[in-house]
Amino acid sequence: MALASTTTLALSILFLLPFLSSATVEEEFHEELLLKPLPDRKVLAHFHFQTEAPVAEDSFARHHHLFPKSISQLVKKFHIKAMELSFTQGRWNYERWGGLDPISSQNAKPPGVELWAVFDVPQHQVDAFWKNLTHSLSGLFCASINFLESSSSYSAPKWASQSALGSLRYGTLPREAVCTENLTPWLKLLPCRDKAGLSALMDRPSIYRSFYHSQRLHLKASMAPADGLDSGIILEQTLTVVQQPNIQKTDLSFSNEFKIQPSWSLSSIFGRKVNGRCVLAKSSNVYLQVERDLVAQLEKLQKKTATYADNDTGIDVLRGDLGFEVSITPDRVHRELEKSSSILYEYSIKEYNDTEQFDLGLTWKYPVVWSCPLAPLYASRFLIGSGNERGSIAISLKSTELTKGFIVANNVEEKCKLQVNVLQIVPWYIKVYYHTLQLLVDGKPQAATDFIERMSVSPSEDKVSTGVMELVLRFPCEIKSAILNIEFDKGFLHIDEYPPDANQGFDIPSAIISFPDFHAGLQFSDDSISKSPMMSKLQEKSPVLSYTEVLLVPLTTPDFSMPYNVITITCTVFALYFGSLLNVLRRRVGEEERLLKANKAPFLQQVINKLSSRFRGGLSESTQPKQPSSSFITPKLIIKIILVAGLAVVWQFYLK
Amino acid sequence: MAEISDSPPESRPVEENTQTQITDSISELDSKTMRKTKPGVKRLIMTLTVLVSFILLSPLLLKSIEIYRAPLPFDEIDSFSSKIESNRLLFPCGFRAIFVGFNFRVSNYEVGEVIRSKMSELSLGGSRCGCSNDYSVSAVLDLADAEVNAVDFGGKLRENDEEADEMVKRLVNVYGEEKVYSVVVVNGEEEVKAVVGKYRHAWILGKVSEEDAVVRVAEIFSKVFVNGGSKDGLIHNEFMPVGADGRIVLSFSLLNTDPQDWVYDWDFSEIDEALLQPVIQALQPIADVTVESQVLYHTPKASFSYWDDEHGSHIFTAQDLPFFVNSNEWHLDTSVAAGGRSKVLQLVVFHVPSTKSCPTSPWLFGACPRLTDLGPSKSIILQACIRYIPSAKECPLQLELPNGDLSKTNGFISPMWGGVVVWNPQSCIKDVESKDLVRHKISPQDLQKLFEVLMGQIRQLLGLKSDDLYVGESGTSTLLGSERGFTEWELDFLSRKHFCFNLLSCATTLKSLSKLVQSLPRMIIMDEIGKQVTFSLEAAKSAQINASVGMYDASAVSSRQSRTLAEDAFFHPSIMSISYYSFEHCFAIYSPFFLPVIMHILLAALREWKRYKQENRKYLAWKAKAKAAS
Repeated sequence: MALASTTTLALSILFLLPFLSSATVEEEFHEELLLKPLPDRKVLAHFHFQTEAPVAEDSFARHHHLFPKSISQLVKKFHIKAMELSFTQGRWNYERWGGLDPISSQNAKPPGVELWAVFDVPQHQVDAFWKNLTHSLSGLFCASINFLESSSSYSAPKWASQSALGSLRYGTLPREAVCTENLTPWLKLLPCRDKAGLSALMDRPSIYRSFYHSQRLHLKASMAPADGLDSGIILEQTLTVVQQPNIQKTDLSFSNEFKIQPSWSLSSIFGRKVNGRCVLAKSSNVYLQVERDLVAQLEKLQKKTATYADNDTGIDVLRGDLGFEVSITPDRVHRELEKSSSILYEYSIKEYNDTEQFDLGLTWKYPVVWSCPLAPLYASRFLIGSGNERGSIAISLKSTELTKGFIVANNVEEKCKLQVNVLQIVPWYIKVYYHTLQLLVDGKPQAATDFIERMSVSPSEDKVSTGVMELVLRFPCEIKSAILNIEFDKGFLHIDEYPPDANQGFDIPSAIISFPDFHAGLQFSDDSISKSPMMSKLQEKSPVLSYTEVLLVPLTTPDFSMPYNVITITCTVFALYFGSLLNVLRRRVGEEERLLKANKAPFLQQVINKLSSRFRGGLSESTQPKQPSSSFITPKLIIKIILVAGLAVVWQFYLK
Repeated sequence: MAEISDSPPESRPVEENTQTQITDSISELDSKTMRKTKPGVKRLIMTLTVLVSFILLSPLLLKSIEIYRAPLPFDEIDSFSSKIESNRLLFPCGFRAIFVGFNFRVSNYEVGEVIRSKMSELSLGGSRCGCSNDYSVSAVLDLADAEVNAVDFGGKLRENDEEADEMVKRLVNVYGEEKVYSVVVVNGEEEVKAVVGKYRHAWILGKVSEEDAVVRVAEIFSKVFVNGGSKDGLIHNEFMPVGADGRIVLSFSLLNTDPQDWVYDWDFSEIDEALLQPVIQALQPIADVTVESQVLYHTPKASFSYWDDEHGSHIFTAQDLPFFVNSNEWHLDTSVAAGGRSKVLQLVVFHVPSTKSCPTSPWLFGACPRLTDLGPSKSIILQACIRYIPSAKECPLQLELPNGDLSKTNGFISPMWGGVVVWNPQSCIKDVESKDLVRHKISPQDLQKLFEVLMGQIRQLLGLKSDDLYVGESGTSTLLGSERGFTEWELDFLSRKHFCFNLLSCATTLKSLSKLVQSLPRMIIMDEIGKQVTFSLEAAKSAQINASVGMYDASAVSSRQSRTLAEDAFFHPSIMSISYYSFEHCFAIYSPFFLPVIMHILLAALREWKRYKQENRKYLAWKAKAKAAS
């Protein structure tokens, strides 16, 4: 198992990050916003706030100037080394919005709540600290994070991080609804809250109207200054929103309105403008990113439409001659190092205030079609099978454009391999049979051992722990598709373990697929840009990571009133039996008959008495053989009738 | 099955039949009124057995569906709380008056008695907490050896209060125990000066008559040493802002109303180390104090203020105070570190927003009609403009007291919550030209001043006087402050109050717990709660015993323990979960079985009993007839 200890799984990126900013002597705050047009007529807005604080011996978690007190106290109390909490609504569309860039690898999160934390405590205490942390966080963020407390809802992935082996806990709540009550406490951690600066753009209706929004809180503390690193705590808060701008009907020179990308501005996306920076921020910048493919397409278009002799693209870009126009001249323009590179416009909002508001707008001149760089394999997950007993989970990986490029790039080598790491966590009531793991490569079943390099499985224990499966797969580069299939039985829950609205089904959290050979990261030559926390984050070499869909498994749900019904009906049957037994015990048959004989009852009553006595048993029959009225109702007849009825029933139900 | 069970009863009627046939043949018998044989009791016994067994088994059933309730000492709780409520929680206190240079014509004992009676007069009605009313006052008249010359001594004392304090301490220590409160009265020629020292003594200098001296001594004893110098005694002061776990978190926040104007920062860790640590040390017997600070931005206040020409500043009045704290925007936060039920005291420094200087906005020019009338001084012009700014730009901001004066400290407290100080920067004019943020640091001098105000607020929150003057009926005394924030006699006073408050709150908590438990019969009560309650009662008892012999620290500790345990029991997590298996639920489950069965059994037993009586009567009738016949 420990063959390739260098390979790291999904979450490893989060721990292997190089430490930011060399010296954190004072508490600092940065605010940044990245805007990016997406191919499917949408716009990505990515807010990034970073607060840093030095960890002094005694004043940490007690005296703060910018850093939120509650977070530092949390770090101190629970000995948190690193933590990430995300609230997401909607699903990141990896096919359209890209899967290779840093934003999609770092900020695309599974729906609902995702929390992981690394603790700096001995192994046996980690669970206790995790439980307390979930409670504190749920209080802090007005969310039901405390449901992650029970050991059957979180897990400890083994290979996710080499450094934090055993002290990492990971849990998700796919069904958590995210709304303003989670955003407000998140904003409260910012020194300016949403009163000033870029966060003032966060108009609640337009954020929650978006196609995808993910609010994330990443915490990283390094307490020990001994190991050559700075002791400091970095709180990173990001909000990623994908929105469809309203189409501005200003420029209708093109006949087909729907083919052209919609022009947008900050005010059309958020309904607000930036009224100036948060004065407490050390840097407050807005970036506009134009993707590689888009730049390439635009340049191609440009060449077609007009011939430019000179190659002075820098000025072109500044003027906005690149197929679109920006309403404000950028302060700086950065180009990526590579040949086909993306362009980054930088705006500093220091100079803007109430009277002169910042409202960046983008107007397209030509219709343009481009695509985002995709992850090497497009991952999706689905359920197979029907019924309430069993089924199977299938994870399908399909090759994308990038894989072809990868082959070309690595063509020289003999064996080109593509490494894929899979982390799948299943709740205990999905009883996975790990031996049924099947692998279909390019549609043909293959021996799983040929492709699986390493595999770690910790089976679930009923009502105690979740099942975790970690796989390291190595596929040949020319692979077209691969399907991992694993069967499971659906378990039964105890009646009080069902959540409200149990008939809706149960969620299986997203699987995490990562590609350690690929790195998401932009490369800019400019040193000045590295000073910005967001840009240095985007330039980090982190493995490409994607989440699959959340699966909804319908489980057998009982009729919740059933226990009571059962109790009632059994009790009634018992009571009937008991009562009739008692009645029979104290019946005086002989006496009754004597009485019957003595007083000549009217005919009707006689019949009733007769019938009732007959139902009590055939005993009295022998004593009254001369009754003319009941002569035709003999026990034989009754037996015959019952026999016929019984036959009919048997015929009806069994012999049909 | 039915047939089997039916057959045995069948045999009997047949038997009866034959018997009746036989008897019929013997004598004609009216079967309606008489019978010859004794009525059988088989069925009666059977039904009665079933009924009795049901009745006997019902306690077993009730026992089986019972929920666990730890036995709580209800009687003890009741007697304890009634005792606490009726009795006074008092410490024995000793007092000593030392008169230098006086010529009383009576004995020491009599002077002591006079002072005692005066003290009893002054402490009208007495309070539930504090010193016991039978004050033990001893008076020392003159110094026997006359080793201290009254004039010399008086002169020395007059020079420097600090030194005098130490001197008086030495003098007082000659007379033994330190726990006794002493007042030294030195006769002299100058005007009267009364000082209360840092320790447990005070001194009065100057020309006082014997009667006056006695009155003043009595007043210092009963008002200052016993009641902590607060004028209105302990009527509303029975609350101590100490958490149930005996902890106080002092949370200091600096609020910058509008960072666009200016940002002030402070170096609080310096204050913490230099000034707050001694205070925390001093308060140790009463509570564990932790300190934290933060700086917040964009925090407008919730009330309005108006411009006042006379004072040249914006004014907010005492009526506005309830609305001053803006809980929507002031994210003061409870402390995660504190946890549990610690008391968080918020001490807020409210930072006034600046005024935008007039020239920035042409609108302001237009709106200032008296601009030219007001003369050349720039500052006046600006202030005139302020009046027309409808927004919350208000600087300087002053608190007007109900009597029309401006508050010296410019702050206020809210009992049990904390305090607010409004701090005006030295110059209210923002430098418009500089766009960049200027982070001002509050200078150490200002910080020192601010800290003094905050310290006064902490003292007030704990129920002490914040200023250094005590104005009594018979004269004014100076209260000497300690560098630790609290003098020894003040700490004594706090200990007494703390002890009293703890026991009172423990009693009320336990009482409400017992009430709650008794009112909810289907509530699960864990063993732990029972234990906590008994331990709490024990701790309360030992606290009372310690108090009665005057052991301050021990009583404070055990009283705190008793309160903590009582609160722990009351807030035990398990107590919140009332059993889901409610009585209605139980009834709904068992009634489908027991209701019909019990009806059957009861009816059967009733019928059998009736029948037996009837038959027995018949038999008796026949017997009587037979007897008569024979």
